[in-house]
Amino acid sequence: MLERLNTKQSSSLASSTLPNLPLTLLALGSLKIWIALTDVYDALKRSQELSSPMSSYSQLQEGIYLFEHGINPYSGGSVRHSPLLLSLFTTLFPKSRRAASVFWALSDVLGAWILVQIWRARQNVKGGWRDTLVAASYLLNPYLFLPSLALSTSTLENTLILATILLACRGRAAPSLLLLAFSTHLSLNSLVILIPVVLLLLSDPHSHLASPQPSKATLKRIGALIGTFVFYIFVLGSISTLVVNNLSWIPQTWGATLTLPDLQPNTGLWWYFFTEMFDHFRPFFLMVFTTHLLIYVAPISIKFQYDPLYATFILLGILGTFKPYATLSDPGLFFSMIAIFPEIYSYLRHPIVTALLHLHAGLLMPLFNHIWLSQGTGNANFFYATTLVFACANAAGLVDCIWAGMRLAIGQSGDKFEVVQE
Amino acid sequence: MEHKQPSLLTRLKHKIRGSGDVNTKRVQRRLALKRTLTDKLPKIIFCLFATGYLWMLLIPFPHLGRTTYIDENALQPSQVNTYWDWADVHIADQYLGLLEQIRDGNYTSKERAEWLNMEFLKLGLTSSTQSYTFLSPVTGVNGTNAYAILPSARHSGTEAMVISASWLSRVDEGAGTVNIRGVSFVIALARFLKRYSYWAKDIIFVVSDGYLDGMQAWLGAYHGIQQKGLEREPLQHSSGVIWTALNIDYPGHSFSNLGIFFEGINGRLPNQDLINSLERIARYTAGVPVTLYDHIDPRENSLVNVEYAWVPRFLYSNPIIKAYIIRARNILRQLKYQATGRGSGVHGLFHQHRIDAITIFGLPAQGPHGFHAIGKTVESTLRTMNNLLERLHASFFFYIMAERGWFLKIGHYLPSAILISVAMMFQGLRKWVDAGWIEVDGTEKSDPSRVWVRRTRPVLPVLAIMILTHMSGLVLFVSLSSTWLSTNTYWLAYPFLVLFAAGIYVLFSKQTFARPNEAPLSLTLKALNLCFASTVISIIAVLNFSLSASLAIILGIPLSVSSSKGSTLSRLVRYLTYTYLSIGWRLHAPALAKQLLWNWHVLGVWLAPFVCIVYVPIVMQAGISCIID
Repeated sequence: MLERLNTKQSSSLASSTLPNLPLTLLALGSLKIWIALTDVYDALKRSQELSSPMSSYSQLQEGIYLFEHGINPYSGGSVRHSPLLLSLFTTLFPKSRRAASVFWALSDVLGAWILVQIWRARQNVKGGWRDTLVAASYLLNPYLFLPSLALSTSTLENTLILATILLACRGRAAPSLLLLAFSTHLSLNSLVILIPVVLLLLSDPHSHLASPQPSKATLKRIGALIGTFVFYIFVLGSISTLVVNNLSWIPQTWGATLTLPDLQPNTGLWWYFFTEMFDHFRPFFLMVFTTHLLIYVAPISIKFQYDPLYATFILLGILGTFKPYATLSDPGLFFSMIAIFPEIYSYLRHPIVTALLHLHAGLLMPLFNHIWLSQGTGNANFFYATTLVFACANAAGLVDCIWAGMRLAIGQSGDKFEVVQE
Repeated sequence: MEHKQPSLLTRLKHKIRGSGDVNTKRVQRRLALKRTLTDKLPKIIFCLFATGYLWMLLIPFPHLGRTTYIDENALQPSQVNTYWDWADVHIADQYLGLLEQIRDGNYTSKERAEWLNMEFLKLGLTSSTQSYTFLSPVTGVNGTNAYAILPSARHSGTEAMVISASWLSRVDEGAGTVNIRGVSFVIALARFLKRYSYWAKDIIFVVSDGYLDGMQAWLGAYHGIQQKGLEREPLQHSSGVIWTALNIDYPGHSFSNLGIFFEGINGRLPNQDLINSLERIARYTAGVPVTLYDHIDPRENSLVNVEYAWVPRFLYSNPIIKAYIIRARNILRQLKYQATGRGSGVHGLFHQHRIDAITIFGLPAQGPHGFHAIGKTVESTLRTMNNLLERLHASFFFYIMAERGWFLKIGHYLPSAILISVAMMFQGLRKWVDAGWIEVDGTEKSDPSRVWVRRTRPVLPVLAIMILTHMSGLVLFVSLSSTWLSTNTYWLAYPFLVLFAAGIYVLFSKQTFARPNEAPLSLTLKALNLCFASTVISIIAVLNFSLSASLAIILGIPLSVSSSKGSTLSRLVRYLTYTYLSIGWRLHAPALAKQLLWNWHVLGVWLAPFVCIVYVPIVMQAGISCIID
């Protein structure tokens, strides 16, 4: 995909040959709705690569059912969706499966539109032929397309995160942080992008990769924005508590991210590790794995302080690779976002290798899942091995993007020079 | 302090790394490695191809692999006294007499199943029948199954094993030979087994109608799976989870050997413990020689040497070559069953539902074995299966049976296909790099030598071509599946393909997309085509090695040598050759195509859609890369 966009960037295809943005969104959106309205959901709903216990639609439905019948959804062990989501689905959002399919497809179209807006904000342009490509890279990305067909709530989370970033690009602190607080309520891991989003609010979204300079943000202003965020988290937490009537939602939603009670296989690296682990090591390694996610925040935010949008992008890639309860849509968001950073393409070192690794991992994961759980001739190690391949594929993309982002500052070198990493 | 000796560590470092700038050295080292790899790449690719194909040839080699063994301790094969005796053989003979009247009396399926049902009821078993109709666009079939359940005396009925016999024998793929002794044996066995109380699992007896269709309908109903085009009655009686199944196929008067058939639908193999247990039980408890398929080993029975008369004597007399030929015959048989995905008999259908199953085939002969030997074997095997505390899992699921009691595990055969796939991948990546660079005259006057400069690759149009070919593969599949097209106009595929190629040519060959400093479409298409084909081969390898190996043999070299150089005529000829490779089977073996489609519609074998949507387009892409620039 990288290479495809790469060539497209330098393509001389005139803007007239490509349809404009509304038309693209309409065409791809209707295609998506048409596919979503078929019975493909029934084939995909149980797929462990597309939805995790934290984002599965059937668990959401169960939560809604219990919630509507006055039973505390969090007293059992299966509902792990935020109370905010439950209350929205019992009031505003559609509940029937087909309506939900349309809703999910529309959420994707909205996500694509927001991504185009972020692209425009970054390039400081009003539009152009690349809009179509950016939108297509979001709507046609199979890692985003399939979870959306399986009605995984990660689709909604992705749209929220993109909206957060767009508002941050436009310098709208309050709504941006509110949305970030909301997506943190849906998935605690979104906390990782707090610092770069705050930095983004304090600077501009334009590309400064070529000219690194210290950030102008002061600790005081950062502190104030983080304070606002904490306030929103608190307000939304209070609303959640009011909705449920007690605090039982905390261990079931946020707690599940931290303590990993449900070890259903997924595309991430956590589940197998913790199925194999002796119980007395569990708390320690839970701490290690969680801290490991947070460790990246400081170095990435410091290194890319001159381009916080890029730092956000890298941290989303790290989340997609290392987060607990990962699904395909997490790395999917990262890879679709590459579309808005065309300046790095010529510095990528191995896009074809990344693409081929993804081709292998993307085909092997459903296959080995089938060999293990349906056909019964394989075992858990088969699927685990493919999640390792998938992690390698994600890491290859991530490392390449980090390299390209930093390498850009040095500029094109002639044949006589070689840039190396110390 | 200048005179001070450098520390030991520093000296060591110097010794290992040498002196000078570390980074320069690292860059030089990396460049040297890159250069070596690039220069040697054609040789490396050749070696990979050669090793891969040679390895495939070596798979039947008698020194590769090892003897089989029982892995699951709980099985304890051949450790029990059997009670099946001549009185039971006599009863089986009586049932045989009745069944012969039924066979010769032109009973309908329904009447036959009713009769079987009555016999089971007379024995005091829970029994019923099930009618079904397959509406396939190829050939529809219908029939009626009969089945009975013997509840376990010692357990709650949550687990079950199946003894089955199809009405038609596997002789000539269910061409019409009635499995008459198999069916009478199943009834006699039901009567016999009921006398004993040590069964920890329910035993289900199924006499399925037809060859494969009856069991497919029965199993689908048992597991509550809806199948398109199948109308069937629900089962009136049910039992627990089926773990293992034995299918009895005994069409002849007597048998000389018991043949084992084990390949399942879509290339799944049963756990090897089941095959090994049966082999040991037949040998030690019943004293019957066991063989793979219907291949009798000429080293055990010199009469069969006739079948190998085509081998020159001086080769055949060499024991290693003889063993190689015997094994190669077995392995090719497994390759055929696995690659077509149809499995080797009724037992294969059980595999779809995660049930380990095999067929025991009595090789028709004038003697010496009969009901007595097969009865002892099956009774003891059931006792072994009865011992299971969990699903069969300990032994191998990925293997090649070279001959009775000898197998190759996955590490012994998988690398052959993977090496070929890696060679294709390297070739593809090399073409990818070639597409990204072009040699031009140096611009500097002081240095007039030629230099390499980057050029862009037309990835988007190439992906468009690839997607178009796969879409047309889908169209091909749909058109083959439709009744009217498959019966009347199978030759239509050719003009369709020619038109398709013309379309691609007109769309992409005109220089609309070509820009200065852009790689040719054909080169980029070839690169991505090779990478994709390599991925398909290596991924299928774990699921269905035989299919993957066949693809590696068919695609490996042909895809690597496609090129758009030469005159228009030679390019056209190359395109037509690829077209023939991709879809020639349609012309030469319309019956095969029909069979594949029937397998897909009735049994759910995914080879037909795979061929149409993956294989044909991949070869077509190689063809297209010959005609476009």
